[in-house]
Amino acid sequence: MQNVATDENWKTCFSQLAPGLVLFARQWTRSAADAEDVVQEAFVKFWRRNHDVTNRGLLYATVRSVALDLIRRDSRRARREATALSDVDPTVQPAFDTEDDSQRALVAALELLPAEQREVLTLKIWNELTFAEIASALEISQNTAASRYRYALAALKKNLPIT
Amino acid sequence: MNDFSELENQLRKLRPAQPSSDLTAKIERALGEPETSTATAGVLSSERRFHFDWLSIGLGLAAASALILFALLRLQAPSPKTPSVASTSPAPVISRDQLIPAGLTQVVYHTRDEGVHFPTNSEEPVRRVRSHTRETLQWRNPKTGASLKITYPKEQVSLLPVSGQ
Repeated sequence: MQNVATDENWKTCFSQLAPGLVLFARQWTRSAADAEDVVQEAFVKFWRRNHDVTNRGLLYATVRSVALDLIRRDSRRARREATALSDVDPTVQPAFDTEDDSQRALVAALELLPAEQREVLTLKIWNELTFAEIASALEISQNTAASRYRYALAALKKNLPIT
Repeated sequence: MNDFSELENQLRKLRPAQPSSDLTAKIERALGEPETSTATAGVLSSERRFHFDWLSIGLGLAAASALILFALLRLQAPSPKTPSVASTSPAPVISRDQLIPAGLTQVVYHTRDEGVHFPTNSEEPVRRVRSHTRETLQWRNPKTGASLKITYPKEQVSLLPVSGQ
């Protein structure tokens, strides 16, 4: 296999995708450091296999797969996974740089979303994936992805004090 | 969707926290290493491509073995007491050789798609599908009609190649 580390393309690709990838991975990890480890592992696997970086559905599916493998490996993390996949999950906290109270309220409302809606919202808003790509990454139908997105927005709107 | 356009704009203004500055350097180091040593920060080990529930399999096999032994002992042991009622024909003597396989039933009662994975030695991703099956083996003695049936659970993991695009 060629030495892919000499290929500078990956840095360009990664610099653009990294914040969204880490945010996506944080849904299954408690800390940003764990999320970065997941992203590192997933991106290295993805890049080594010379997959087309435009195939974002597969890239995010890889991140999801690595994250789930990680938390399956020990029982403490497995318990966290069980709660991460439930509808009410107090442990998953999207990490944002907030500037004012309205943004902090928005982040707080995001944390109240069911995990399945939050992951679709994360992919759509902060990773700019299409519903087709989201469907591929999460192994769901496009209609389901679109529905979850709408439900997430509706729930946010309902929970926000000011919209 | 127009109802949500303002909310979507607010969401887009939220900026995800930037990853740590050394993440890119760590990936660069990992890409420079041989593929066999790409574990990340000691957190991730190689994938568990085949994982069996050894406890269930062991218990199932033990139960099946005990059942076979019990059946063979009962079939081969002489009757402890003669029938109190006279029999018109001698009691049949059944040996193990007279049992012939009569059937195999496989019932898949649960299948779970565990998503896309990347085997270490594979260039392409694969889909991991885990299925739980209950298998039943049957033997029958055509002379006496005696039958022996063994049922045990089985877990199988299949790796199915998937397209990269």
